[in-house]
Amino acid sequence: MKEPTHRRCVFFNSSLGEKMVDTEVKNRKVNRSKGKNEKNKEIPNPAVDPRDEGDGESTPEALPEELAEETVAKKASPSKSEKKKRSGGKAGAATAGTALSDLPTLAVTCHFNLLPMLLFGVALATRFYALDQPNSIVFDELHYGRYAGLYQKQTFFFDSHPPLGKQLLALAGYLGGFQGDFKFDKIGSSYNASVPVFAMRSVPALTGSLLIPLVYMIMLQLNYSQWTAALAGFLFLFDNALLTQSHYMLMEPILLFFAMSGVLCVLKFRALERSGNAQAHSYSLRWWGWLLSGAIFLTCALCVKYVGVYSYLLGLALVGHDFWEKVLGNLSLSKKQVFGHACARFFAFFMVPLMVYVGVFYIHLSTLVNAGPHDSAMSSAFQASLEGGLSSIVRGQPLEVVHGSQVTLRHAHGSPCWLHSHAANYPVKYADKRGSSHQQQVTCYVAKDINNWWIIKRPNRTDLAVAAPLDRISHGEEVQLVHGITGRNLNSHNVAAPASPTKQEVSCYVDHNVSMPAQDVWRVEITNREEIGDVWHALESMVRLIHVNTSVALAFSGRLLPEWGHNQHEIVGDVMVNQPNTIFNVEEHRYTRNEDEKDRQLELMTTDFIPLEPVVMGFWEKFFELQIRMLFISNENVQNHMYTSSPWEWLVLTRGIAYWVSPESNAQIHLLGNIFVWYSATVALGVYCSLLIFYLLRQRRQCYDIHEEAWNQFRTTGEVLLVGYVFHFLPYFFVDHTLFLHHYLPALAFKLLLNAALVEHLYYLTRLVFAKQFFNWMCILIVLTWMSGILMVFNKFLPLSYGLGPMNASQILDLKLRETWDFIVHKP
Amino acid sequence: MRYFLFPRFWMYITQHFKPHLRDSHTSVTKQCAVFHLSFSSNKRDCISKAMSTDCRLKNPENPVKSKQMKNHESLCLPLLDQFRDGSSNKIWWRVFALLMIATVATRFYKLDQPDHVCWDEAHFGKYANFYINRTFFFDVHPPLGKMLIGLFGYLDGYNGSFHFDKPGDKFEDHQYMGMRIGCAVMGALLVPLSFLTVWEMTFSLPASTLSGLLILLDHGMLTLNRFILLDPPMLFFISASVYTMVKFHNQRHRPFSLPWWLWLSSMGVMLSCSVAVKFVGIFVVIFVGFRTIADLWEILGDISRPVTYTVKHFMARALCLIVIPTLLYMGIFYIHLAVLNNSGPGDGFYSSAFQVGLKGNYLHDGSTPREVAYGAILTLKNSVTSGAYLHSHDHLYPEEIGGGQQQITTYAHKDENNQWHIKRHNKMPPSWNSTKPVDFVRHGDLLRLEHFVTGRNLHAHRVLAPITIKQFQVTGYGLDGVGDTNDIWRVEIEDGEQNQVLETMVHRFRLIHYNLGCALTCTKKKLPAWGFEQDEVTCNPNKRDPNAIWNIEENIFPRRKTCFNFYLKMAWLIDFISFSVPNVSFRSYEKNFFQRFIESHVVLINGNSALKPKEGEATSKPWMWPINLRGQFFSGGKLQVYLLGNPIIWWGNLVFMVFYIILWVSVGVREKRGVVMTPREILLQNRALSACGWLWLGWLLHYLPFWGMTRVLYFHHYFPALLFSSMMTGILLDYAMESIPLSLPQKMFNSTYISILSGALVILFYSFYLFSPLVYGLVRYADSNSTMHHLHWLSTWEF
Repeated sequence: MKEPTHRRCVFFNSSLGEKMVDTEVKNRKVNRSKGKNEKNKEIPNPAVDPRDEGDGESTPEALPEELAEETVAKKASPSKSEKKKRSGGKAGAATAGTALSDLPTLAVTCHFNLLPMLLFGVALATRFYALDQPNSIVFDELHYGRYAGLYQKQTFFFDSHPPLGKQLLALAGYLGGFQGDFKFDKIGSSYNASVPVFAMRSVPALTGSLLIPLVYMIMLQLNYSQWTAALAGFLFLFDNALLTQSHYMLMEPILLFFAMSGVLCVLKFRALERSGNAQAHSYSLRWWGWLLSGAIFLTCALCVKYVGVYSYLLGLALVGHDFWEKVLGNLSLSKKQVFGHACARFFAFFMVPLMVYVGVFYIHLSTLVNAGPHDSAMSSAFQASLEGGLSSIVRGQPLEVVHGSQVTLRHAHGSPCWLHSHAANYPVKYADKRGSSHQQQVTCYVAKDINNWWIIKRPNRTDLAVAAPLDRISHGEEVQLVHGITGRNLNSHNVAAPASPTKQEVSCYVDHNVSMPAQDVWRVEITNREEIGDVWHALESMVRLIHVNTSVALAFSGRLLPEWGHNQHEIVGDVMVNQPNTIFNVEEHRYTRNEDEKDRQLELMTTDFIPLEPVVMGFWEKFFELQIRMLFISNENVQNHMYTSSPWEWLVLTRGIAYWVSPESNAQIHLLGNIFVWYSATVALGVYCSLLIFYLLRQRRQCYDIHEEAWNQFRTTGEVLLVGYVFHFLPYFFVDHTLFLHHYLPALAFKLLLNAALVEHLYYLTRLVFAKQFFNWMCILIVLTWMSGILMVFNKFLPLSYGLGPMNASQILDLKLRETWDFIVHKP
Repeated sequence: MRYFLFPRFWMYITQHFKPHLRDSHTSVTKQCAVFHLSFSSNKRDCISKAMSTDCRLKNPENPVKSKQMKNHESLCLPLLDQFRDGSSNKIWWRVFALLMIATVATRFYKLDQPDHVCWDEAHFGKYANFYINRTFFFDVHPPLGKMLIGLFGYLDGYNGSFHFDKPGDKFEDHQYMGMRIGCAVMGALLVPLSFLTVWEMTFSLPASTLSGLLILLDHGMLTLNRFILLDPPMLFFISASVYTMVKFHNQRHRPFSLPWWLWLSSMGVMLSCSVAVKFVGIFVVIFVGFRTIADLWEILGDISRPVTYTVKHFMARALCLIVIPTLLYMGIFYIHLAVLNNSGPGDGFYSSAFQVGLKGNYLHDGSTPREVAYGAILTLKNSVTSGAYLHSHDHLYPEEIGGGQQQITTYAHKDENNQWHIKRHNKMPPSWNSTKPVDFVRHGDLLRLEHFVTGRNLHAHRVLAPITIKQFQVTGYGLDGVGDTNDIWRVEIEDGEQNQVLETMVHRFRLIHYNLGCALTCTKKKLPAWGFEQDEVTCNPNKRDPNAIWNIEENIFPRRKTCFNFYLKMAWLIDFISFSVPNVSFRSYEKNFFQRFIESHVVLINGNSALKPKEGEATSKPWMWPINLRGQFFSGGKLQVYLLGNPIIWWGNLVFMVFYIILWVSVGVREKRGVVMTPREILLQNRALSACGWLWLGWLLHYLPFWGMTRVLYFHHYFPALLFSSMMTGILLDYAMESIPLSLPQKMFNSTYISILSGALVILFYSFYLFSPLVYGLVRYADSNSTMHHLHWLSTWEF
């Protein structure tokens, strides 16, 4: 058996590997003992072969300079020497001191980094170029624009995504003078002058531009060189998909901006945590600032779209991991101190996000007070609390249901429908040869209709008019329900229901067609009587109607009746009483005044209500109802959309999405990534993962191929970027939604960063393996060629991002690099 | 007595089945040393003596002395200590035997009741029939489970004559017991397997016993394992995989020995069988995969050995866990396809070429021209899974739905209305007795399809389709084959080349509408009564829709006969081929095993994902399962059987799962904070934590994926996960029993232990007794005062 020291590490033909093994333990200790300030210097590692002398440079070049600069800046150095312009693209501009050195100096030293500024400038230029073109609705502007308009009108709408992004759009629209009068009817219709297109689109454009300096800073924070950071910015800048998405009123750039800002803040916070004197920084202003702003930004991302939760989880994981390693593992801290740290983080990452989240919804709900198009998605009580809609109908209607009440009964869960009957009978025989009672149909109808009116009646009374004293109906009492227009009683009996043969049929009882005796008494069960009380209240009481003879509950079965039932929903008597489908509530309600049947029918058809006082619903009730509806009852499933794609296809950019096409020519906007960027990022992902596995396996065998510095950097990159990518990508394999290419953009952001990081790492490896300067230059040359390739492809597909210029069919087909890209060619 | 029959075999069994005598010998003695240290320092006399007793027990060479010790320490309850220690062979076998007796008693009691078809027995009994009658069928699960059920029936002499039409049908004098017994045996084996698995993981007899009891006394496990269902074999193979996995893991100290190979390969076999019963078996494969990676990682970290050693290990695992299972899995499918060689109800789900191999299917014996020529009469089959034939009939679309032209549908049955006459777009085909050269249909040709019976052309226009309103309507239009330009379609063979001739069955193609550029598609949505509930056909602007692919199944080109006459009359000079098309047998299209294997999988997977819950149907959601919210009726009527977990066990599992997380975090924190723990605490923790960590992972892997599934889900999908959580509960209960007394005064040590143990046992047995009528059938009383009323702990339980 070989002794470990005699083994040779065969990879990377430098002697580094070997020697590091020989002296591995010692060296590692030496390296670890070094403080951070020494980090960027040449590593005086005895293991390093003299041949590798120059390799110290491979650790970030720009950083020592920057650190130095910082220290200069901090000291507010009284030195008179003006800082020279620094090499490497940095400009340190310093204003001067005086000639007399003994006098106190008034000096403002400032420095700024030219590269990110340059990138930001180009970003602004590309993102804002022709921003108001095309002056018509592009893709999902249809929704987001409409929502922004509804904000202006303070009209309630329902969307399964949280509101922050739409609020920002609406704010921009408001500042631009948008009144909300424009009707967003279909993709492609032109905006009129009342829509401040530029102002509204500038929100995503601005956030999309800010993304570029942000990623620059993130890369610096991950200890990468300025050039790598600039490369990351470059990749973001010249990706067509990010450009297209930032150019119109869409949510992704806003989401990405918040997510990346959050990640940056968390990284800054980590830097404080991991710095040599972490103790000193604890609870400092900067410490709190980065922690809180990180949490807030990440929550904002969550408030733009729920997928932002993955960014939040990434931030949480990073902070939690550091807590575990640096605070909990730090035995110099007392128990109390650890507890304090835990509390601070808990506050920042749980309490603050909760406040932000609720705050955003508070704005949402307190702004949108008018009834609007999506009211019916909400409960009756919610609708009644909105101005205009249901509230104008139900306002002032009597609260207590009594003998003689005229009511409409709404099925309280899921899609709205109202208990309904009409002058048509069940067919004698169904298609499957079963017989029916041939009595009058009872259904659940999705529209408001006069046939939805029912009159509540005590079984033993014959009059119907309501008179004082009111005969209130309470929990457990028995009633009959008389259909308002046909005057027949709600009845159930032991006959199989039309569409669900295992359930019992519900009908309206008809005298002359007696196949069954009348069984028309129902017991009222109020399910929420703890809150509302025993007396049946309109709107608020959730009621089950239990058939007295057979103990079944009146239930919505979820099936549709065939043509003879006008495709309305089936109503059955269900043995399973305790289920949401059996719950109804009274929506509209009034007291019967007329005894005569004809007059009563006339009253049902004609009367209108006189509003007296509005229904008030508290913020929390509204908030929780909205949350439940948003999270659990989202039914926006676009099946069979032409441009859907699956997560696997995103890796290789199989399909884009047609956003808009000009009516005059083939000019069009098509969401499509820069194929060069996307492919190289996918390759980079694979290379990174294989390198990671390789290093891990080698380290398991006690072979350390790269310097500890480089390994740490490589590992941190994985912790942040690879984990971020996986968090944002993997969940899509498990969701049941229809997916589109733009769902991939958050994951893509992390992938692009990883790509830039990998480039630097490969450069480092080149220097480690090859001594000759020649190979370094080769590397740089390859990267430059790659970048120019990206620029070329970007330029080629630019027309599809901006949708500019008339294009003919051949120009479009020229762009069709892959068979699966379906551009629209509708003109020659 | 023990050596009475097979002394060698028995020795092998005792040595390998209960392996601590050999494997863990060294480690156990080490543990004993640790015990000694900790307790002598604590000056807990009684305990330390008990421990030293244990240690001596483990040294078989010194049995006499240990016996003496036991007699001395009557206060320390030697039987209990033996049980706790688990080192005595006698008590181990006694406990195991008791467990087995209880298993047999519970599993086989009243197995013939109810004597009618219960729940999904209606399906799986039917599948057993199909195997026995060798007719081809379609099901969404791989075949092994159904093959086993069929085999059980076959061995019992069941002849496949009972129809299994619907739940509630009386078996009468059909031989159904064989299948029930077969399933019950597989289900019963879960108890010993869990016992042994936990034993191998912890070498703690109380933990193993408790785990076994939790499986034994759960009504859900019991009910599910007594009927003719896929779950008994699936659960058996899953727990056998886990057992072989831990067993193999414990062989790690003697790699490449015979038992090592045996357990490794049997693990591969069990894995393969799990997947071959139901696709959810893939979760246990992933579980084992993780374990294997962890093992290899360990081996790699041992730098006293060369890398090639790890490679050797890797190759051995790749062979036994990848190659052998794959071959076995394919072998199972081979048997499946070889046994089912008669045409049956499943034919239509498979492609035309697949059907060729089924005896009795008309494609099996028929013959047809290979190339398609203009003038031929064709039937077009939708190429996707269970695609039907393009169909039309002499009925119009209703007035309110676009135009009142003739309906076009797809129809699964063979019918003369499925026949279409193919023509060039601009001229009529030559008559069948023409002598002109045959004009073949080629890739990219423009053509018309005339419905042979009604003489209308396949037509599409800018009218919304009846159901899928985003697509265009397809109708039959025209009179005797004369129509307009909206009848023109372009044929595009998949991956076709210019001038490629369209061939029967071999080619899959799209029909693209010439004017609209959309593709003829079957949307697989049922038309209402006016369309006779046949499937809707539309013209789909999305040409990539997989439902837009068709193939030709029948190809009738009757010119041959006429030509033959003609040929007789005229001369030899004219080339026969040029004006006729030769017939070929369908046999030439028959797929080989690999193609059939792959197609079966495509069909299975599509079938699985197509099992969507219907609109408004109350479905079982994964969050309901662990809390035992709602059960499942197995049998209604007079003798009710209701699948419901033992609430004590299920809720207990949840509690212990949370307990595990707390324990894990607190141990982690304590380690991180450098808290010094006694060696005994560390020992207990390590034992519980490492085993439970894997079981927790197993539970997650068998439960979480259901959250992302879109297919319809049932309560019984939770049971594989339950196996893991029950085993974990057993281990953690043992841990709690061992560690809680540590914080109490020494006097209460044994009494606490006993009271926890006996309390747990009493609750378990009593709850089992309480709910056992659910399993063995409860008689339904009409009034609510029935004896079962007090069992309605949750209002959602419907029994």
